[in-house]
Amino acid sequence: MINSVTRRDFLSLLGAYGGTSALIQAGTALGLMPQPGQAAELSLARAGASGRRVAILGSGVSGLAVAWELTKAGYDCTVLEASHRPGGRVFTVRSGTVIDELGNYQRCEFDNEPHLYFNAGAARIPSNHSTVLGYCRELGVDLEIFVNESMRAWVQDDNFNGGRPVRNADFHTNMHGFLAEMLAKSLSAGQLDEEFSEAEMEALLRIIRNLGDLNEDMLFEGSFRAGYASGGFLDHGTKHAMIAFRELLKTRLAAGLMVTTDVGTGAGPVLMQPVGGMDRIPYAFANRLADRIRFRSAVKSVQVSDHGVEIAYERDGSRETLQADYCFNCIPSHLMTGIPNNFPSDYLDALKYIRRGEAYKAAFQARQRFWEDEGIYAGITWVNSPIQQIWYPPHGIHKQKGVILAAYDFGGGMYYTKMTQEQRIEELLRHGEKVHPDYRQLVEKPVTIAWHRMNNMLGCAARWQRSRDGWSAEEEAMYHRLQQPVNGRHWMMGDQISQHSAWMESALQSAHFALADMDQRVRAAAL
Amino acid sequence: MKHLMTAVVTLAASVLGNLASGQDVGLPAPMDDKYCMTCHGAVGQGNVGVQAPRIAGMESWYLKRQLENFRAGIRGTHPDDEQGLAMQPMAARLTDQSIGDLIEWVGSFDYIPTTATIEGDASRGRQAYTRCASCHGDQGQGNETFGAPALAGQNDWYLVTQLRNFKAGYRGNSPNDQYGAMMVSMANSLTNDQAILNVVSYINTLGR
Ligand SMILES: Cc1cc2nc3c(=O)[nH]c(=O)nc-3n(C[C@H](O)[C@H](O)[C@H](O)COP(=O)(O)OP(=O)(O)OC[C@H]3O[C@@H](n4cnc5c(N)ncnc54)[C@H](O)[C@@H]3O)c2cc1C
Ligand code: HEC
Ligand code: HEC
Repeated sequence: MINSVTRRDFLSLLGAYGGTSALIQAGTALGLMPQPGQAAELSLARAGASGRRVAILGSGVSGLAVAWELTKAGYDCTVLEASHRPGGRVFTVRSGTVIDELGNYQRCEFDNEPHLYFNAGAARIPSNHSTVLGYCRELGVDLEIFVNESMRAWVQDDNFNGGRPVRNADFHTNMHGFLAEMLAKSLSAGQLDEEFSEAEMEALLRIIRNLGDLNEDMLFEGSFRAGYASGGFLDHGTKHAMIAFRELLKTRLAAGLMVTTDVGTGAGPVLMQPVGGMDRIPYAFANRLADRIRFRSAVKSVQVSDHGVEIAYERDGSRETLQADYCFNCIPSHLMTGIPNNFPSDYLDALKYIRRGEAYKAAFQARQRFWEDEGIYAGITWVNSPIQQIWYPPHGIHKQKGVILAAYDFGGGMYYTKMTQEQRIEELLRHGEKVHPDYRQLVEKPVTIAWHRMNNMLGCAARWQRSRDGWSAEEEAMYHRLQQPVNGRHWMMGDQISQHSAWMESALQSAHFALADMDQRVRAAAL
Repeated sequence: MKHLMTAVVTLAASVLGNLASGQDVGLPAPMDDKYCMTCHGAVGQGNVGVQAPRIAGMESWYLKRQLENFRAGIRGTHPDDEQGLAMQPMAARLTDQSIGDLIEWVGSFDYIPTTATIEGDASRGRQAYTRCASCHGDQGQGNETFGAPALAGQNDWYLVTQLRNFKAGYRGNSPNDQYGAMMVSMANSLTNDQAILNVVSYINTLGR
C-alpha cells in the first residue's frame, strides 16, 4: 500500500500544487483578481433625448440589475416578468409562499416567523463574488455569515461503517492521519533527499506530522481533533476510536469530503447570506424599480429591427405590445426557443444548443432544532443517497423551530423530480432517518423544489459543455455569438451567458457585460 | 380564491416591505390548468428546448385521447420515457371538465408552420411512408376513423422521439393502449434509426 506512493507521484503532486498557487499569486499581483466588496465600475453615459426606452425580459437578478443601472442613467425601463414574483432562481420560501411547480402546486405551511425560511434557489454568497456583494452594499441588504462546513455534521453511506453515520471530524482526522502517515513513510525512505535540503526536509516532516496529528514515530494513532469520546473538560479526555483506512476508502464520498469547506470559489468555509432570505436581493432592486416591473406578463414574441425591438406579451389574458429602443433578455434559453422571434439562425442555433439543468432541493420545518442537540449549528451532512446533502441553516439558533434542508442535488435531480409529492416526501424521510434516527417524528411541513418543473424556469444552471474535457471550439464560438447583440438592440444575458453558470455573480457580470456593450454603441452613435 | 389572494398579499407586505403595496404582486395566475404554454411554446407551436411538441392546430379527438392516456398513466410512465414523464404529471391532475375546457382553449390557437430540423433521405422515406399512408393519409393529414393523428406539420424532432419510443416499448405497450398498440408494429417495421429519420424527412415535405 505504502510503496504505491512513488517518489515520482509525490513530486508531481508537489509540482501541481506549486503550479496552482504560483498562478494565483501572479493573478493577484497583476490585478486580475477582483477585489471583494466592489462591483465592477460601470460608468454608463446618461440617456439621450431619444433612444431611451428599454425593455428587460425576465426579472432574474441580471434583469433587475440592468433595469436598476439604466434607470439610474436616465433610461425609461420596463421589466416584463411572467411570474408573480421577482428573482427567478433567487427564491425564498416562507409561510404562505406559493411554489409554482407545474403539476405540483404547493403552498408553504411553515409557521410565520422571520427565521423560518428556506432559500430554495441561490443560498450562499462567496466573499469574492464582488458584484453581488457590491449590490448588497449599495442596496442596503444586510448580510450574515453562512457556514458551509461543520466538523460536527455527519457523513452517511450505506456502504461505509455499516451505514451508521460518522462525524465529519472523525472522517477528516482519520483520513488526514492515514494520508500523512503514508507521506511520512515515503519521505523517510530517503528517496527525496536530493530534492530538498535538510532544513526543508525537517520543515516538510513537521508539516506532515501536524497535518495528520502523528506521533513521534510518525504513526497515526487517533487524534483529539475529532473531539473527545469522553471527558475532556473536568477529566482527561479520551480519543475516539480510529476508523480503519480501508473502511474510509469504501465511501464514494471520500474524495469530495476532503474539500467541502469551499464551493469551488476559494472563499470557503465562510460564505454569506442576506439576513431574512436570499430574496432580499431581488426585492431590494424591485422596491426601487417599483411599477417599472410588470408581473404576470409573459413574453410571447420578440421582433428585432434596425431601430429597436417590438415585444408582445400576455398580461391577464390580454395581448399587449411594448416598443423599445433596446432589449435585455434573461429568459432561460430553453424557453426563449419556444417564443416566436426573428433572431438570426446562428444566434437561435446557439440558444437551442444550451441544455437545461435539473437541480432539486427540499426542506422541512423542524418541530425542534434537534441538530443543535447533536452539537451541530451550521454546515452540511453528506449522504451517499439521492438526498446527497442535509443543511442546517444557521438562522434562528436556539429558537424552538428551524428549517432543515432535506435534500440538495445540484448536478442531477431527476430522481426526485419524476416522483409524486408523496413519494418525494417518503424518500426524504427514509434517507434522512439514517442520519437522524427520530427524523420522521421531528420534521413537518415539507416543501420540494424541482427546478426542472418550476413554472417559467423549467431548469437550473445552463449546460453548455457536452464533453467532460471542457468547452469545444464550437461551444466557445456559440457562447461568444450569444454575448453579442442582435442588431445592436437585443442582448441575451444571465448566468446562461457565462462560462460558469449557477452563480448570481455570473448572472450579474453577464448583465454588466451587456450594459457595457450597449453603452459603447450609444456613445459611438452620439459622436 | 379571493380570500387566499388577500392573505398572500398581506403576508408579502409584512415580510417584504413596500413592494407588495404595488398592485402587481399576487398569486400566480390561478392554476387553472392553462399553463401548457410554458412547455409547449408561447403560442402552442412546440418548443425543442423543452422537447414539447406543437399542440396548436391539433385534432380535438386526438388531443383528448392523449390527455386521457397521460392522465391514466397509459402513456408517460415508463421510467426511461424522459419526455413522457415530463408531460404525465401535467395531465394527472386534470378532470374531465378541465380536459373539455382545454380542448376548447387549445382549439383556438392558430396553427403555425414548423421548420425542419432533421436530416434524412426523403426519397427512401417516401417508400416507407406508403405503409403509413393507409392510416395517416397520403398527405399526413390524419384520419379520425383509424384514430391516426396528422403527422404533417408536427415538429420533426418529436415525431422521431415517438417512433423511437414505440420501438423501445415506452409508448404503445400498455394493455389499455389500443391505438398505441397499432403503432408498435408499424414503428418496428422501420428497422433502424436511419429509416426513422428518412420517413420523418419525407413527412417534412408534406407541409401543411
Ligand atoms: C438550486 C439552486 C442553487 C443555487 N445556488 C446558488 C448559490 O448558492 N449562490 C449563487 O450565487 N447562485 C446560486 N444559484 C444560481 C443563481 O440562482 C442564478 O445564477 C441566478 O439567480 C440567475 O439569474 P438570471 O438573471 O440568469 O435569471 P433567472 O433567475 O434565470 O431568471 C429568469 C427570469 O425570466 C422569467 N421568465 C421566464 N419566461 C418568461 C417569459 N416568457 N416572459 C417574461 N419573463 C419570463 C422567469 O420567471 C425568471 O424570473 C443557484 C441556483 C439554483 C437553481
Ligand atoms: C412540464 C412541461 C409540460 C407542460 C406544462 C405540459 N406539457 Fe404537454 N408535453 C410535454 C412534453 C415534453 C411532451 C412530449 C412527450 C413525449 O415526447 O412523449 C408533451 C406531450 C403532450 C401531448 C402529446 C402530443 C402528441 O402529439 O401526442 C399533448 C396532447 C400535450 N402534451 C398537451 C398538453 C396540455 C394540454 C398541457 C396543459 C394542460 C400540457 N401539455 C402541459 C411537456 C409539457
Ligand atoms: C394501422 C394504422 C396506422 C399505421 C399503418 C401507421 N400508424 Fe402511426 N399512428 C396510428 C395511431 C392510431 C396513432 C395514435 C396512437 C395513440 O393514440 O397513442 C399513431 C401515431 C403515430 C405517431 C405519433 C404521433 C403523435 O403526435 O404523437 C407517429 C409519429 C406515427 N404514428 C408515425 C407513423 C409512421 C411513420 C407510420 C408508417 C411507418 C405509421 N405511423 C403507420 C396508426 C397507424
